[in-house]
Amino acid sequence: MQHKVKTGSPLLEVKGLSFSYEKKEAPVLNQLNFQINQDEFVLLMGASGSGKSTVSLCLNGLYPEAVEGFQSGDIYFEGKHIESLPKGEINKQIGIVFQDPESQFCMIKVEDELAFTLENRNVPTEEMAEKIDHVLNLVNMKAYKHVAIHELSGGQKQKIALASVLLLEPTLLILDEPTANLDPVSSLEFVKLIRNIREEHQLSVLLIEHQVDDWLEDISRVLLLDQRGSIILADTPNSVFQSNKSLIEELGLFIPRVYQKKKESLPIAVAQTSKENCLRLNQVAFKRWKKEIFKEVNLTLQKDEFVAIVGENGAGKSTLLQLMAGLLKPAAGEVSFLNTPLSKWKEQQLRKHLGFVFQNPEHQFITDTVYDEISFGMTLNEIDPQTMKKRTEDLMEHFHLTAHKWKNPFSLSGGQKRRLSVATMLDETPDLLLFDEPTFGQDAKTSEELMRIIQQIQANGTTIVFVTHDMELVDQYCKRVIVLNDFSIALDGRPEELWEQTELLKQARLRPPARLEATEKVGATP
Amino acid sequence: MIEQLNPTLKAFTILVPGVLLGLMFDIFTPLFYLVFVILVTFLFSNISMKKWLLIFTPFVLLAIGFAWMRMLYTRESFAGGEVLFSIWQFDVTTGSVMIAISLGLRSLCFVALSLLFILTTDSTKFMLSLMQQLKISPKITYGVLAGYRFLPTFRHELQVLRQAHRIRGVGRARGIKGRIIQFKRYSIPLLANAIRKAERVAIAMESKGFTGEKERTYYHPMKVGKRDWVFFSTMVGMFFFIVILSYSFGYLNVFGNQF
Amino acid sequence: MTNQWKLKEIVLMSILGVVFAAIYLLFFFFGQTLRNVLMPFGLGEFGYEIIFGIWFIVSIIAAYIIRKPGVAFTSEVIAGVVQVLMGSPAGPMLILTAMVQGAGAEFAFAITKWRDYRLRILVLAGVFAAVFSFAWHLYSSGNITLAAWLIVATFIVRVISGALLAGVLGKWISDQLAKTGVLRGYALGKEMQEERERDAA
Repeated sequence: MQHKVKTGSPLLEVKGLSFSYEKKEAPVLNQLNFQINQDEFVLLMGASGSGKSTVSLCLNGLYPEAVEGFQSGDIYFEGKHIESLPKGEINKQIGIVFQDPESQFCMIKVEDELAFTLENRNVPTEEMAEKIDHVLNLVNMKAYKHVAIHELSGGQKQKIALASVLLLEPTLLILDEPTANLDPVSSLEFVKLIRNIREEHQLSVLLIEHQVDDWLEDISRVLLLDQRGSIILADTPNSVFQSNKSLIEELGLFIPRVYQKKKESLPIAVAQTSKENCLRLNQVAFKRWKKEIFKEVNLTLQKDEFVAIVGENGAGKSTLLQLMAGLLKPAAGEVSFLNTPLSKWKEQQLRKHLGFVFQNPEHQFITDTVYDEISFGMTLNEIDPQTMKKRTEDLMEHFHLTAHKWKNPFSLSGGQKRRLSVATMLDETPDLLLFDEPTFGQDAKTSEELMRIIQQIQANGTTIVFVTHDMELVDQYCKRVIVLNDFSIALDGRPEELWEQTELLKQARLRPPARLEATEKVGATP
Repeated sequence: MIEQLNPTLKAFTILVPGVLLGLMFDIFTPLFYLVFVILVTFLFSNISMKKWLLIFTPFVLLAIGFAWMRMLYTRESFAGGEVLFSIWQFDVTTGSVMIAISLGLRSLCFVALSLLFILTTDSTKFMLSLMQQLKISPKITYGVLAGYRFLPTFRHELQVLRQAHRIRGVGRARGIKGRIIQFKRYSIPLLANAIRKAERVAIAMESKGFTGEKERTYYHPMKVGKRDWVFFSTMVGMFFFIVILSYSFGYLNVFGNQF
Repeated sequence: MTNQWKLKEIVLMSILGVVFAAIYLLFFFFGQTLRNVLMPFGLGEFGYEIIFGIWFIVSIIAAYIIRKPGVAFTSEVIAGVVQVLMGSPAGPMLILTAMVQGAGAEFAFAITKWRDYRLRILVLAGVFAAVFSFAWHLYSSGNITLAAWLIVATFIVRVISGALLAGVLGKWISDQLAKTGVLRGYALGKEMQEERERDAA
C-alpha cells in the first residue's frame, strides 16, 4: 500500500528452501524455488500434511525459531536477505491472515486489537484513531469498533483479522485458508472484500487454499506442492486445472467446479423410508435465560430418514439438535423417541439407542487409546469380553483404525479423529444418530469419506440427522431438509423446494449448490 | 469516580489497608473500616447497590461460619476472659468471641475492598496500566491478555464436554478415584486445546510485528494523577485514623496485645 | 528473565490460569461439600485444607512443561492476575497470595538450580508452596489465633495436599498431556520425544 513499485518486478524470491521440525525426520518442505512478483495473486495448493502453512511462517521469518526447527535455503524480500533485516521488520512487510478465527487476537475489543498492530509499528498515539477508523471502513466493520471480539461471528472475526494485518501496510498479504472455518456466505463475502481492497491498493497475495472456486478469477499463478513438500508444478490456473487434472486428483485435491464436467442432477442413494416414527417433537418450546428460543416446534422423523438441518449461525440449529438428543429439556411440549417420551427413558438405555457426534471429536474422547475409546460403551453395558473384543476389532477394521489401536486419540490426524468419534457411537446399532456439523473445517477428502460412512450407517437402519452449512451435501445426500430461520422452522421439505425459494435462501444466508449457482447468482449480500 | 482512577495505584491502595488489617485483632478497627469502605463504595462509584449486595451477602454467611469456627478453636493466649457458655466440650470465653468477630469482620473488609476494585476496573486497562506504571514486560502483558481472551471459549467448551460425557454414558463420578479420573477427562481436552491455541495466538501476534520490545507507543496512555494520590491518601489515612481512634478508646488490639 | 521466555510460553501460562480457574471452581464446590460433611464432627476446618494443594498445581505444571527459571513463580502470579481479571471477589489480595505460593514452589526448583524435574522435586515444590501459603494465612486470615493442635494438624494436611494434589497430580496431568502430542514444542515434549527415540534405538 505504501510502496508503489512498478508492477511485475520480483517482490519475494525463495531459493532452495527446506524445512523440518526434527533433525531426523523427513523435511516438510523440500528445496522450494519460487518467486512472487509485485501485484501478483499466487495460489499455493497442496495435499493435507504437505506443509503449506509452514511456507507462510518461513516466509515471514517466524520459523524456524518459533518451533526450533531446521531450515536451509535463502529468502529475499525486495532483493534483501530476510535474515539481514532487524527483528520484526519482515513481519511488517508480510501480513498473514490465519485459518482459525478464534486464535488470532490478543485483545478483548476490536479497536484495541487494531491498536495493537499500530503500537507494534510505533505509530504515534495521536495518529492511531484515524488509521483505525479508516481500516474499519475498508472492511465494512465501522459499527463494531467498540464491540468485544468474542461476540463477533466467524466471518466478522476474519474481517477484523484482515483489518489488523492491513494496518501493517504490508506489501505482501498471505491468506492461509482464511475461509475454511466460515459459512459459505461469509466466505464469499471475504473473497469479495479482498477483491475490492486490491482494486484500490497495490497488494500482492499468496493464497493457501484447497477449495478455490470463489477465488478463481483473482488467481494469476498456481504452485502445486506434493506430499514430500516439493513444488511439482507452477503454472497458470488454466494450464494446471485443465491439462494436469489427473495429477491434482492423485494428490487428493479439489478441482474447481468450472473445470469439472457438469453434473446434471445427482442420484440420491437412499433406502426406502418406512412409516414408523423414530422421533417426534410435539409443541416443543425452549427458553434460555428467560429468552424464548423456540416456540411450538412440531416435527416428526421417520425411521431410516436422512435429514439435514440448515440455517444461519445462531438460528438455533445446535439447540434443536440438543433438544432432540435430550441434552436440553424443553420448557413446554414433549419430545418422544421410539414412541416413548424422553423423560420416561432411562439414561443408560437412551444412550444405547440414540447417538450424538459433536463438532469437535476431541470433546468426546474419554480414554487413552483408540481401543479403549471404542470399547468404552460396551464396558459400561457389561458386554461379555469375547463379544466386546470382536466388536471393537470389527469397528476398528471398518474405520481403518486398526493400525492405530494403541495410539492416544488426541494424537491422531483430523480425519482419523473424526472416524473414531463416529465409531464410538456404533458399539450397538443406534436407532437415531445426530451429527453437529460433521464436515465443518474439514478438507474435501475427509468430508467425502465421512459422508460415505454416514450413508452406510443409514443403510443399516439408523435414522440420520445432521446440522450443516454445506448445501452441496444437502443436495447430494438428503431427501429432506429443515430450514431454521429466526428460531422457527421456515421450511421442512425436499431440497429442490428450498432451491426455488430465493428469498428464504437469502434470509437464512444459504448458498444453493454450485450446479444451480452457475445459472442464477444468488446468495451473497455484501 | 473510582472507575476513572489508575488501576495499578487503585490495586495498591486496596492492598495496603488489606495487609495492615492482618495486625488488628479488635472489633472496633475492622468494623469502622468496613463501614468506611462501604460508604466510599456507594458515594464515589457507580456500582449498583443491588449488584453489590448480591455478591456481598453470601460472604456475610461465609464470614459467620468462619467466625464460628474461630470461636470454638481459639488458642489459649488469645482466649482470655471469663467463660461465657459452653457447647459440646468447648468453653467459649469473651476473648474468643472478640477474636472471632474481629476475624469475621476482617474477612468482610477484604471482600468489600476487593469489590471496590473488581467492580470498577476494566481488565484491559488494568493490564495496560501494569505495563506502563510497573514497567512489566509487554510480552507478559499481552501474553496474559491473549490467554484471558479465551475465557468465553473455555466456558462454552466446558459445557460441551459435559454434554459429550453424558452421551458417552459417563455418569457422575463417585469416590476419590472416580473424581480424579473425571478431573482428567475434563482437563486433558481443555488443556490440549488450550496449548494449541496458545501456540497459534503467539504466532499470530508475532506475525503482526510484536517483538516484546519495551519501546512502544500506546493507544491508551495510562497516567497517575493527583486524584489517584488523593484516593490513596484517603483510604490509607482513614485506616490509620481509625487505628488511632480505637487506641484512644482503648480497644486497639495488635496481635493479641491490648493497647 | 522474560527475554529467555518465548511468547507462546507466556500465553501458555496465562491459558493454564484460565483453564484452572474453571477447575478451581469445581474443587471449591467439592471443598464446600467436604466442609459440610466434616462440620458435624467439628472438623469443618479441614474441608478446604484437604483440597488446598490444587491451588498450587499451575506452578508445578508450568514449571514441569517449560523448565526455565522463574516459571513456577510467574505462572502462579499470572494465574492470580487472570482470576482478578475474571472478577474473583478475592481481588488484588489474590495476587499477593499467588506471589507467596509461587515463591514457595519456585524455591524448590531453585534448590536444584532448575535442573531437576523428577517427581521428588515436583512433590517438594508442592510442599514448599503449602508451607509458604500456610505461613501467609497464619497472618492474613488470623489463623495464628487457632488452638495449637489445630494449627499443627491443618499444617500437616495442607502439606500432604500440596505434595499430592499439586506435585503428584500435576506431574500426572502433564504426562497425560504430553502423550496427546501437543507438547512437542516444549521442554517436556522434547524430553519424551528423546526417550522414545532412545527406546526405539
